[in-house]
Amino acid sequence: MLGAAVALAAVLVLVLVLVSSGGGGGGSGSTTTESGGSRGGAVAGRAEALALMAGIPQNGTALGSPRAPVTVYEFADLQCPFCRDVALETLPDLIRKHVRTGQVRLVYQDLAFLGPDSVKAAHAAAAAAQQDRLWQFAHLMYANQGEENSGWVTDALLDRIWNAIPGLDVQRAKRAAAAGAGTADLALARRLARSYGIDGTPAFVAGRTGGTLEPVDPADLNDQIDSLVSG
Amino acid sequence: MTDRRLRLAALVLALVGLAIAGYLTYVHYAELEPVCGLGGDCERVQTSDYADLAGVPVALMGLAGYALILASLAIPGELGLVAGATLALVGFGFSAYLTYREVATIDAICTWCVASAVVMTALAVVTCARVVGAEAGVPH
Repeated sequence: MLGAAVALAAVLVLVLVLVSSGGGGGGSGSTTTESGGSRGGAVAGRAEALALMAGIPQNGTALGSPRAPVTVYEFADLQCPFCRDVALETLPDLIRKHVRTGQVRLVYQDLAFLGPDSVKAAHAAAAAAQQDRLWQFAHLMYANQGEENSGWVTDALLDRIWNAIPGLDVQRAKRAAAAGAGTADLALARRLARSYGIDGTPAFVAGRTGGTLEPVDPADLNDQIDSLVSG
Repeated sequence: MTDRRLRLAALVLALVGLAIAGYLTYVHYAELEPVCGLGGDCERVQTSDYADLAGVPVALMGLAGYALILASLAIPGELGLVAGATLALVGFGFSAYLTYREVATIDAICTWCVASAVVMTALAVVTCARVVGAEAGVPH
């Protein structure tokens, strides 16, 4: 009896494994699968992203009140792993403490310099920015980030992320991204980065709004912004 | 150990498994982030390519698996024993595969999934022991 049960179970497990491997993002070993990307209705980080940004005003690439006394520019690339770490581990505290309270305005500057996935993600981000939802989009992209230049920024991933953002018109975003949304902003961001001597991501410059912005060490970001806000 | 004790152990294990799979199924459909202890990243695993099979959430399959194992305990005779053992062995094998994927591909561990895998492993041992016991003529 046990032999029959083991044999039958082995066959069934084999079938399950084959279906699982074959169904993982269009085939075994597909880039989405290898990078641990997600599919289906659920998107990693959705609840956190929505809760973090809820109720904070956004205007294009800016998060926070336009009257905030301190302005912070973040230079990043959506497929840079260090940007992911900062976005998911450091920025939430800054956003909760200073952006939500109207003290700091965060402006996202996409440098998209790491490769084709960066550029595709930047156009999709700009499409979200056109609908004032860039910061939810960026947080979700980081939460679902794949291996650099592995082709992880698929149309399916972008669809899922756009769909995970309440109030975002996905069809409009698709059209905007396909039309190269944000191309001019990319060039501007790169020029701006050069003017601050920035040659890697993530990088931050910060200062009193309307004044000179100075480079800030990402490792010391929250302390330095604390000082700027209290100063 | 008598078959009665093994059956009771299988019943308790299946109920624990049912609770775990039920929770994971609930958070999947409610689009909630599972509470994930011990430094795990349940959400990353739960939203990975391996979180569903041909469109069916793996958590729901686990729920069905545990429910079927529970049902098999109510079936008298060899049929119930073999059905329970087969289901538990399938669950064990697929859980082992998914745990491998968590470590090797997704690069994240879902504490609940590992707990379910442990419960399913114990169920496989207990249900197989019942089959072996029946073959050897262990008293009920």
